[in-house]
Amino acid sequence: MSEPGAKHKFAFYLGCIAPNRYPGVESASIKAMKKLGVELVPLKGASCCPAPGAFGSIDMNVFYAMAARNLVLAEEMKMDIALVCNGCYKSIWEVNHKLKHNKDLRDAVNEVLKEVDMEYKGTINVYHTAELLYNDKFIGVDKVRDSVTNPLTGARIAVHYGCHLVKPHKDREFEKEVMLNTEHPMWMEELVSALGATPVEYRNKMQCCGAGGGVRGYDIVHALDITNEKLINLQEEKVDALTDICPFCQLQFDRGQIEIQEKFGATYNLPVLHFAELLGLAQGMSPQDLGLDLHGISCESFLRKVL
Amino acid sequence: MERTKGYPAALDKKLQDTKLYVDDSNPEFSKSVKAISRTNSHMCYQCGTCTGSCPSAPRSSYRIRKFMRRAVLGLENEALTDPDLWLCTTCYSCSDRCPRDILPTDVIMAMRNLAFKRDIVPVNFLKTVTAIYASGHGVPNNDVNRAAREKIGLSRDPPTTHTYAEYMPGIRKILDHYKLKANADRIIKEREG
Repeated sequence: MSEPGAKHKFAFYLGCIAPNRYPGVESASIKAMKKLGVELVPLKGASCCPAPGAFGSIDMNVFYAMAARNLVLAEEMKMDIALVCNGCYKSIWEVNHKLKHNKDLRDAVNEVLKEVDMEYKGTINVYHTAELLYNDKFIGVDKVRDSVTNPLTGARIAVHYGCHLVKPHKDREFEKEVMLNTEHPMWMEELVSALGATPVEYRNKMQCCGAGGGVRGYDIVHALDITNEKLINLQEEKVDALTDICPFCQLQFDRGQIEIQEKFGATYNLPVLHFAELLGLAQGMSPQDLGLDLHGISCESFLRKVL
Repeated sequence: MERTKGYPAALDKKLQDTKLYVDDSNPEFSKSVKAISRTNSHMCYQCGTCTGSCPSAPRSSYRIRKFMRRAVLGLENEALTDPDLWLCTTCYSCSDRCPRDILPTDVIMAMRNLAFKRDIVPVNFLKTVTAIYASGHGVPNNDVNRAAREKIGLSRDPPTTHTYAEYMPGIRKILDHYKLKANADRIIKEREG
């Protein structure tokens, strides 16, 4: 057997919001996954996925071509892609899937990519890191549990699944069938339990954060009203933190709480952490290592419980 | 003379406003929506599961079912000029639950594509385009974040187009192929001067 540090290797597709707003997600993912036998190699020259709401709304053809360019970068490295954001998953996974199965789309995209000396071949797969953590073919819940050195005991943590990783389920192809359940999934709760925390369910947990589809930019009050409804439902369950697997949802819940305070006068002070950040904490990374001070809502109340 | 047939005058007048006139319907619109969305929009039987699943519906006049009907009937102007078109958060709950296996979300995306061709588009969508044209990122790095990255042991800029600017000409070429930047600049200028 090769060294345990590199059982699986993936091209690490970063996206925009993780590296440029919540860099702890990037560093925690690299370090935590390494401890679990997964090496994340930088995908040099990657761009925005591109944002499925903005680009998909304007011109689907550009959306396909721009996502294909990111896919080709990984094809050239001969590596599958791992990523940390639901929005990126929608662009990168879905365009890969569509191009693999539709020759007309593939030909049209390659026509454009030819201008930049690239060709989409359809040779790689795309995974979300949450999927790698849950699927025992790569890591699995047991290995996640074994890697925990600082269990998050006593913390009540709710999960926001977000939309674009799992929906629409009829188009998704997860190896783990429970991930195709979009009405009442529990696989993320299993991962939260593995960290020693208490997963908490709440009303309408599969509801959208409100930010997607360009709505955050188009009508911020409308977007925040959706977020606010989720925050009310979360408050009812007295959770210590909300965990997500999408930095855009995280931005909407975290910075969004400040905007909700300004616009609606409601205060929640609910810490919002990407699952990679939680995993990092449970594996012994410090809040400073994770850059948690960059969060709009202070994580102090949550950290006091678990550290 | 008193009316003996049809609805009473008042009701008839009311219904005038909601009648479908053939002139309003453009069959090409239905076909375009289907081609761009790659989903069988014409299969919709108006059950309303989509609107019932929609997080935007309870807080606005946006009704996805209405847009599905417009797609089927070819009501191009009515669909593309309705500002509610831009209230879909693309959460795909409707697509997840549609008993006809249609993806109403992608129907909305197709309609937005067609609206953009007529310069009907909110500027925030275009600003994402110009941001990506400038740096490759829709949400670019900033100095506060650069300092934070350095503090936690990461490079000041991520190993994306931010570090490897030599990839930018390729990205601009792809966007220019579709004249996206030129159109975005023109529309933003028209709106904001």
